[in-house]
Amino acid sequence: MTREPRRALVTGGSAGLGAAAVNWLQANRYEVVVLDRDRPWTGKTPVDFIRCDLASRTELDDVLPELITAGPYDLVVLNAGINATGKFEALDPRVHIDVLRVNAEGPMVIAAGLLEAGACRTGGAMVFVSSLSHFTGYPGAASYAASKDALAIYAKSMRKYAASKGVTLTVAFPGPLKTDHAERHSPEGADESRRMDPDRAASLILADALAGKKTSIPGTGNRAFAAIGRIFPKPVTALMRRLIYNRF
Amino acid sequence: MIGAKPRRILITGGNAGLGLALAKKLARRHSLLLSGRKSQNEIAGTLPLGAGYVVADQNDPEESALALVRGIRDFGWDSLDNAVLNAGIGIAAVDGVDSTEAIRQTLDVNLLAAVMQAQALFPLLKKSSGTLTLVGSVAHKGSATIPAYAASKAGLHGLARALRSEWSGQVSVQVLHPGPAKTGIHDKAGYDPGRMRALFLAADDVAAMMASAIAARRSPVTLSWVKYLNGGAYTGRRL
Repeated sequence: MTREPRRALVTGGSAGLGAAAVNWLQANRYEVVVLDRDRPWTGKTPVDFIRCDLASRTELDDVLPELITAGPYDLVVLNAGINATGKFEALDPRVHIDVLRVNAEGPMVIAAGLLEAGACRTGGAMVFVSSLSHFTGYPGAASYAASKDALAIYAKSMRKYAASKGVTLTVAFPGPLKTDHAERHSPEGADESRRMDPDRAASLILADALAGKKTSIPGTGNRAFAAIGRIFPKPVTALMRRLIYNRF
Repeated sequence: MIGAKPRRILITGGNAGLGLALAKKLARRHSLLLSGRKSQNEIAGTLPLGAGYVVADQNDPEESALALVRGIRDFGWDSLDNAVLNAGIGIAAVDGVDSTEAIRQTLDVNLLAAVMQAQALFPLLKKSSGTLTLVGSVAHKGSATIPAYAASKAGLHGLARALRSEWSGQVSVQVLHPGPAKTGIHDKAGYDPGRMRALFLAADDVAAMMASAIAARRSPVTLSWVKYLNGGAYTGRRL
């Protein structure tokens, strides 16, 4: 095989779903660039690491050229995200700002920058990691829900432009995962066994992305939840309130 | 009016477009405080009689929220019946892609400012069991012409869905999605709708539909041709 190795970029690749995506990609012989606030904790195969806190506009401006030259990419996984749970009015305004910057603004700026600079190979794919909350209301994480909805719709709106560059855009809507992130933001006493293993979620999402699918909802249960949320948005939001908000 | 006592209503972006059209509609019956980016001098003479005005530039979301709270206090109000977070900008994407600056400015003005303001206004709204109205757009489902704008409006939709549930019993929260109207937004966005403009609803009719949707407190509500042809601008509740 003389083919040049395939390259991938994973934001937030140091932990959780991002780390699972990095592992899957390395197992499938991709060279991986990781952008994260923290250094990767898994070190079996080295990755090209770019440090950046997406909450900081200046940090992102500084690394964006580097991110572009580290390409061109066959696959971009815009996965980095943070959550802030609690009563909306009681959370520090700075926290809401960070949530919107990291979850929506950062990936939007990166996606636009990479596509415009031609840093994605023709025939490549880009995944935006939104949230299953897109199909319901998410009381207890209002700014998080706003950021994930914004990201999903941005991706949808950019599909035509990306297609002109030969890149497909996939929006992933994962449900609760067995990650530290989910651990921190689910109410006490939540049943951990019902959350999806991040390795499984990553493999399902990446397979959908490589197949050029528009959306990826990993897991049958999650797909059912999304369908019910679409048909009965209000009762499902009320259920979310009972399960999450009322337990804070 | 029977059953309609004057309300204290805040409208952001109330000095132009749909905000101003709504203000003109409500000025006779209610007490209004409007906000905008422009200075008092620049807007002199454009506002309805008796309406107050406060400068709150949403390019700085945090500061805009503080400016509103100060403005409300200086206006002599200790509570709010309605907050209509209507201010917004659109920037047409050049060749299909938004610049970094356009993405940041659009999210700041349209989404983050609303988040900051909703948080800051909550105690005032709660005092009078008021209503928080977020003004979205039919573009909240996606638009290739204005991706960042569509994203910001989708964010408002998600914010409203969460807050409506969180604050139920304290403050009503709703999101309204107006269709394109004959306002200055398209020129300001650098987008020429061309002959499509003839199909846009009059700002006044959209404002009338907004007023009755605000009175009804339902959410989400789409205010476009379908509603208009069903008499949306003339029937429904009166605010």
